[in-house]
Amino acid sequence: MNEWAIETRQLSKYYGDVKALDGLTLKAPKGSVYGYLGRNGAGKSTTLKVLLGLARATSGEAHVLGERVRPENLAILERTAYVGENKPLYEWMSAEQMVRFTRGFYKSWSDEAARRYAEMLEIPMRRKIKKLSKGNRTKVSLLLALAQGAELLMLDEPTSGLDPVYLDDVLRTLVEHHVNEGRTVFFSSHDLSEVEQIAEWVGIIDNGKMLLEARLDDIRENFRTVIASGNGLPETGENIASVTRDGNFRKYVLARGGESFAASLEQQGAAVLEVKAMSLREVFLALLRKESANVSVEVLA
Amino acid sequence: MLFHVHASSGVPLYQQIVGQVKNAVASGASRAGDSLPSVRKLAADLRINPNTIARAYQELEREGITRTVPGGGTYVADIKPGILKSEKQKRLRPLARQLAVESVQLRFDSDECVEMLKAELRELGEKP
Repeated sequence: MNEWAIETRQLSKYYGDVKALDGLTLKAPKGSVYGYLGRNGAGKSTTLKVLLGLARATSGEAHVLGERVRPENLAILERTAYVGENKPLYEWMSAEQMVRFTRGFYKSWSDEAARRYAEMLEIPMRRKIKKLSKGNRTKVSLLLALAQGAELLMLDEPTSGLDPVYLDDVLRTLVEHHVNEGRTVFFSSHDLSEVEQIAEWVGIIDNGKMLLEARLDDIRENFRTVIASGNGLPETGENIASVTRDGNFRKYVLARGGESFAASLEQQGAAVLEVKAMSLREVFLALLRKESANVSVEVLA
Repeated sequence: MLFHVHASSGVPLYQQIVGQVKNAVASGASRAGDSLPSVRKLAADLRINPNTIARAYQELEREGITRTVPGGGTYVADIKPGILKSEKQKRLRPLARQLAVESVQLRFDSDECVEMLKAELRELGEKP
């Protein structure tokens, strides 16, 4: 039994001189919702392409659902559903026709599930794809992916451009009918508030490397902003992810141990003005705004 | 019982759920034998991961706030009054600490600080 839905070791993918992935190590537990974060061009889409066997890794290895990833290994595609950024659909078909067209490709396809999702997501099934709004196109893509009954759902920016009500419908559907069945969702996103809501695990990558991979509740429990003022305040130290300076003031982001760090500053005579928990957005910015960050934050156990 | 989680507050979601159950119990809104929603239902209602809810329920059970009947759901347990009292103290203590810290930083002496707290209690109609 393998506990990882996705596992990569030292995975690299070069396009000429460009290192899209640079020794990426990623572990997404089975049955989790894993939010995959990074800036534009950080390597998120390349990761998904390699995992799906659409691109060949330059070095390193990857396993999906226990299967070694290779472009010629089709078993992974049978057990994995993928919704890409562009959501290719046949414009001249209706959603209903898309369903009939797609079902033949998958052994574990469920017509009953397809009907249920169509109803739950309120998709106009008879209308031609080209007449559908962006939100409804996303819902059709999601329906096609969910009805495959795949063990792993991989979504590339699944919700970009959805209004909050659509987004809420989609999140509910994902939790209720996919995650609740013990299946895994791996999705890349820019929308930190949505990731924060639904993800149990997050991985943050930059320049093709993993900066931080942790359970989101552990990030909430451990990351702290500490604002202090005084003379001779430390500029580096264990667990300090970043420092911002202004005169005698320092704003620290700590990957753990914020409270004891603040107490030690006070013992040295500094005034500690604030010790605050951080949102995912704040953690993300602290790690990626690099002017002062010493990155390489260890994975929180 | 109704729940609300705030995903960007920086407080772990499982702790938010644990805290809300404890508050409901401490305030008497939930009593022994009341049932909690199933993990699956609460996950769908809150749009959060079922593993997070399961972690909250495990924590509540470990602390003796709830009990789980195998295959039959999760219920508020018969809680010893001592536990309730200490839960209430746990909730108030950080606020008391905050008041103390701010009053030291702003250079109020302890009489002034206590007087201000008493004034607020009078405002609420409580006898200080």
